[in-house]
Amino acid sequence: MLSFILRRLAVTPVIVLIVYTITFSLTWLVPGDPLQQDEGRRPPAEIVEAMRKQYKLDDPVGFYVEYLGKASGVAWVLGTSTRPFDLGPSLRHRDWTVNEIIATGLPVSITLGLTAILLALVIGITAGVIGGLRPNGLADLVAQFISLVGISVPSFVVGAAILMLFAAKLQWFPIGGWGDIRFVVLPAFALSLPYSAYIARLVRYGMIEQMTSDYARTARAKGRSRTGVAMRHVLKNAFLPVLSYLGPAAATAMTGSFVVEKVFAVPGIGQHFVDGVVGKDITLVMGVVLVYSTMLVLFNLAVDVMYRYVDPRIEVS
Amino acid sequence: MRLLVPFLFLLAILFLALSADHPRPRADLVIAQRADSFTLDPQRMSWRHDLRTARGLFETLVTLDPKNCAPQPGVAERWDISDQGRTYTFHLRPDSRWSNGEAVTSGDFVYAFRRALLADTAADYSGFLFHLVGGEEFFHWRGQALAEYAKRPVRDDAACAALWQATVEQFSATVGLHTPDDRTLVLTLKHPVAYMLDLLAFAALSPVHAKSVEAHVSFDPSTGRLVQGHDWTKPGKLISNGPYRLVDWRYKRDMRLEANELYWDAKNVRTGSIAIVIIEDANTTVLSAEAGGVDWVTDTLAEYRPEMLAERDRYERHYASELATARANGVSIDQALGRLPPPERGERRNTHGLDSFGTDFYSFNCRPTLSNSAPNPFHDPRVRRAFALAVDRETIVERVTRLGERPANVIVPRDAINGYTSPQGLPFDRVLARAELESAGWKDRDGDGRVENEQGALFPTVDLVYSLGSPRYRDLSFALREMWRATLGVQIVARGKETKDFRDDLKHGHFMIARGGWYGDYGDPTTFLDLSYSTDGNNDRGYVSATFDRMLQDAARELDPAKRLAMLTDAERFLMEEELPILPICTYVTVYMYEPAALTGVNQHPRLAQYFARLKREE
Repeated sequence: MLSFILRRLAVTPVIVLIVYTITFSLTWLVPGDPLQQDEGRRPPAEIVEAMRKQYKLDDPVGFYVEYLGKASGVAWVLGTSTRPFDLGPSLRHRDWTVNEIIATGLPVSITLGLTAILLALVIGITAGVIGGLRPNGLADLVAQFISLVGISVPSFVVGAAILMLFAAKLQWFPIGGWGDIRFVVLPAFALSLPYSAYIARLVRYGMIEQMTSDYARTARAKGRSRTGVAMRHVLKNAFLPVLSYLGPAAATAMTGSFVVEKVFAVPGIGQHFVDGVVGKDITLVMGVVLVYSTMLVLFNLAVDVMYRYVDPRIEVS
Repeated sequence: MRLLVPFLFLLAILFLALSADHPRPRADLVIAQRADSFTLDPQRMSWRHDLRTARGLFETLVTLDPKNCAPQPGVAERWDISDQGRTYTFHLRPDSRWSNGEAVTSGDFVYAFRRALLADTAADYSGFLFHLVGGEEFFHWRGQALAEYAKRPVRDDAACAALWQATVEQFSATVGLHTPDDRTLVLTLKHPVAYMLDLLAFAALSPVHAKSVEAHVSFDPSTGRLVQGHDWTKPGKLISNGPYRLVDWRYKRDMRLEANELYWDAKNVRTGSIAIVIIEDANTTVLSAEAGGVDWVTDTLAEYRPEMLAERDRYERHYASELATARANGVSIDQALGRLPPPERGERRNTHGLDSFGTDFYSFNCRPTLSNSAPNPFHDPRVRRAFALAVDRETIVERVTRLGERPANVIVPRDAINGYTSPQGLPFDRVLARAELESAGWKDRDGDGRVENEQGALFPTVDLVYSLGSPRYRDLSFALREMWRATLGVQIVARGKETKDFRDDLKHGHFMIARGGWYGDYGDPTTFLDLSYSTDGNNDRGYVSATFDRMLQDAARELDPAKRLAMLTDAERFLMEEELPILPICTYVTVYMYEPAALTGVNQHPRLAQYFARLKREE
């Protein structure tokens, strides 16, 4: 087990490096100029030139190497940088470093994403079990319909609709912003819908499949009730596909959803990424991508470890 | 049981993340902005909302009177203007202090102005100080010195420090800024500048606390440049001299300001704490304001805002006589609205479309040839005039833009500058438009509804470029396309481009007609007219006219203020009736949202220069 984890951790930098290189090339190829402004007076040409030099925007290779060195902490180890994991200054928001931006936004996105994933698990498993117990019954049809809606209706529609209803009309929740738990509920719910729908389907199919398997039939023959078999024996096996889905799902949810964050004015990192791409804020884009890919790799590892823990028969090598 | 482990794992992370957050109680005044401040360093600002926040945190030498935008004392309690308008002596008030208790000195202003004039700072508004004796020369001197430094074989800390020493000496020896003592600041100008006080009220010329800024300065020996660390603008570190101090600033989330007890005029600061919250989504912003979570929306951008303004109109029409009586008795429009009964269904009073100090326009490419080296028909002013004459602005503001804008056929917004008379501008006249085009040699010679030149060649298909940033630009461009097609018989292709590509096209002159717009920075016509000066950095049109350049130069030399403004009127007439490099469409409208009875002190002067200290939420 330990050697498995160590091996996986050892390849993590390689994966992240590949992601870094691809993202770097893409951001560099996108047209536009981070030093240009949408509003306001244009700085004199020599000032733009000076900034271009300062940030190495005229030298992609130099930028690539220097940024990689600082971001990975290598420069810090070698003593050429004063801080480890320095993701650089934001090119557009001049008072902030990318580290500060991510440090402010990431806890928010993690809170929102985790709540959404937990909600998705609760909603999804409940709906899936209900459906799996009595396939094609009334409850199943309702649950399936809702999960279809959850998958197919885009979250900006769901988001705007529940914002109008629960915050503006009924005033149960504040409209937008971030703070205590009341601010989390609506965006987390909006964010959780596609995940819960997917989980519901995974659980439902898993249940239906497992209920017809030999061990379930044996248990039934021994006199256990249908529900008893489902909860005691079948659910655990039906849950395994959910567990493998959980890794990437949690990573996606926790690194922020641009749409949900925008509709509910949640200050997470999802919108920073899109703003970064739009404004060609190269350092910000690179920083967010690095954090995201690292999280994705680590979550997948965590899921694999958990898999093994939940079902010891699985070989992790 | 094992199934519960993943849940517990997730719950643990959730609690960790939640405990990392510290919510705050509601501020006395909550302001919603679409975008976060880009910087709180006054000298590096260029966005209007940054400048507004700076007016809360910092105080300039002079400030603007809310009623007419005339300069009034700020940090300077009085000033003398001598030497035919070339020397300004400011006497700083003795009780002006920084938020750490230290006195604001004339040296702080010199320090801030020096930063603004250093090429290293990348200050967008360096140009405002080019009026100082030696200002422009110093800016270029430093640029030159850095360029030469970069070529040197030996570039180390010592060389860098020597260059900096030379720069400091060059500045104090050549730039017209002097501090006879800590409370006196003398500015010497190259030539009289009628609007110098207005420039000095501009937030980018706020003083900065020299010591705390200097603590974050370092030098890059490889380039010789001064590198300004950004940390001094962070909460707990930012030292300001204005009505407010910075308490908290969380990126793209909120900013918190508290009244600065050390501010000399603290008794007239009407609001204790201010929160500026960032809500990007236009619809969410409106909902927040409606529910009372936000007291003032500084820019309402919801797509349905024309309908919101129509509801406001309906409300005003409902109580037209009451409003007229109140207004006749000298009651402000907000007060009058606040006293009326609450709006009924389909009416509203919390949405305010206000004329701003900006003009929505289209640019003609004035270069002799296009970017593909084909001849450019718009090089001929008669063609530009023909296109301008064919535009029905009334229809555009009523049917297309629909925010109650004033149609504009001149570039300087009408009635926004004291003492300035706008020229008449060109009317909407289809017959005249066709005649102008014909005089330029373009006429429908074969009766197919399209114009040709003498050789029978069709008028080149017009390349009309707009940015996809907002549907407004698309709708406007389509409306213009139809008007020109119908009246002038020309073919037009409207090309929507992503903002970034659009800018590239503008820069490289890759257009015939392009969408544009401009907000003025100070209360003088030159803030708009300079756009057409041949060497101006914002002259996207490639418009070069020795006559117009000379008119601006002559006006700049004129000492008599009234005469100078009259000369600028002539210059604008030349620009807007003869030359038309720019085709104005309408004056920009900014849509504010606030309950007129609940928020007082909002300045409605077209320059919309809001000072936080003057705002108050009424209970």
